[in-house]
Amino acid sequence: MKRNLLIGCLFLLLTAPLFGQAKKPTIMVVPADAWCNANGYMAGFTTQGVTTNVPDYKAALQTDMDLLNVITKIGELMVERQFPLKDLAATIRSIEQSAAEDEMTMSSTSGASLSESPLDRLLDRAKADIMVEVLWKVNTVGPKNSVTYTLRGLDAYTNKQIAAAQGTGAPSFSAEIPVLLEEAVLSNMDNFTSQLQAYFDDLQTNGREVAVDVRVFDNGSGLTLEDEYDGTELQEVIDNWMAENTVSHRYSLSDATENRMKFEQVRIPLYKPNGMPMDTRSFVEALRKYLKNEPYNLTCKTMTRGLGRAILVIGEK
Amino acid sequence: MKSIKVVTFFFFFLLCVMPAMAEEPLNYEIESAGSGTQGTYLVKVWVISKKNKPDLNVIQKCAVHGVLFRGFSNKELRSAQKPLAGSALAEQTHLDFFTAFFKDNGPYRNYVTMVSPTYEIIKMAKKQYRIGATFTVQKDQLRKDLTDAGVLKGLNSGF
Repeated sequence: MKRNLLIGCLFLLLTAPLFGQAKKPTIMVVPADAWCNANGYMAGFTTQGVTTNVPDYKAALQTDMDLLNVITKIGELMVERQFPLKDLAATIRSIEQSAAEDEMTMSSTSGASLSESPLDRLLDRAKADIMVEVLWKVNTVGPKNSVTYTLRGLDAYTNKQIAAAQGTGAPSFSAEIPVLLEEAVLSNMDNFTSQLQAYFDDLQTNGREVAVDVRVFDNGSGLTLEDEYDGTELQEVIDNWMAENTVSHRYSLSDATENRMKFEQVRIPLYKPNGMPMDTRSFVEALRKYLKNEPYNLTCKTMTRGLGRAILVIGEK
Repeated sequence: MKSIKVVTFFFFFLLCVMPAMAEEPLNYEIESAGSGTQGTYLVKVWVISKKNKPDLNVIQKCAVHGVLFRGFSNKELRSAQKPLAGSALAEQTHLDFFTAFFKDNGPYRNYVTMVSPTYEIIKMAKKQYRIGATFTVQKDQLRKDLTDAGVLKGLNSGF
């Protein structure tokens, strides 16, 4: 019996890499808010009486040739590194195609339409796991021009800056701005990708870093995260499950109330025990199944925001 | 008979030790020489030598070695490029590969071109010269070939 078990374990160990590879994060380059603001590409929208300015990516892409050139050059360099990027312009076109569908969606009781910011739509629909913000400023001193250029990669789920490159190019009397910009992109890209490589290496060694929210449906059942099961509060049950299922027990519980638990810096394994790739949804699905069993018998709903964020809502589907 | 044995041992000893003596550690400095065209680095390499006659092979080797394991900086722009291989430790990790790569007239020569056939030679002390030259290093091709050889990791590795 022991021998068969040993052979089975060995088989799993040897064949695990054959089942699949870790889910690849997607990357998209967008102009930074500061750049959009400085160049007049902001749009205002009102939500519940409050006006907010957000970057108007479509106007920027349709108007600014330099922006298009910079995004194209970054994309070209990433393709050379065998890591194609999601294209901002193509994503916006895709959003527009489905805009009609969204406009037809409204509440059956009050007739309210969907409320979401352009950035929400971009992030949710494109599911960009890493947003790369690009920003530059042309400096003019007398007849000389130079370009100060910044590129920074942000994890869309943990909001951490995972890679960056920044610098000011050599001043030039004669070079045109697009040429200075191209030089800035070329000279900063290697340092940026080397930090990105370090982030991917860390991800493969220590697991994917994600965020998990646990919420409770306000359905009148009176269920809270402080309810006790065999003398242990539900909060503690979930906390213990996290400790047992994260890589090296690495996670942090940043907020905990009777209605909500917010887990950050959760390190989930890249692969399930059967060798298939794991994302945050499948990680939270395991928690949902755990809470469905005795003695908890809880019905839960799982919602996903891309590769790295999932929400478990307890109470009903 | 005994003297023949001693002489044979002496020559055998020399044969074993001489190649090791020839493999001196590379003594050089590397700095940016401006912006290269796409896919290249423009670097200036200074080699410390006992002779005032430049050895192109050694300087070329230093240029590629510096790009791979040391990185370089641009003092005017206060910017720096990180080593292509990540760090100097990569050389020890893949010692067999890089020993063959950096052997005299080895594959490293495919990735480096001298910009102009002129050297700067500065006498520093008796039998000590600082010899400088500017090179273009084909860093994108170098990275691609080392990634294909499994020496460097690509962004795509593991996904």
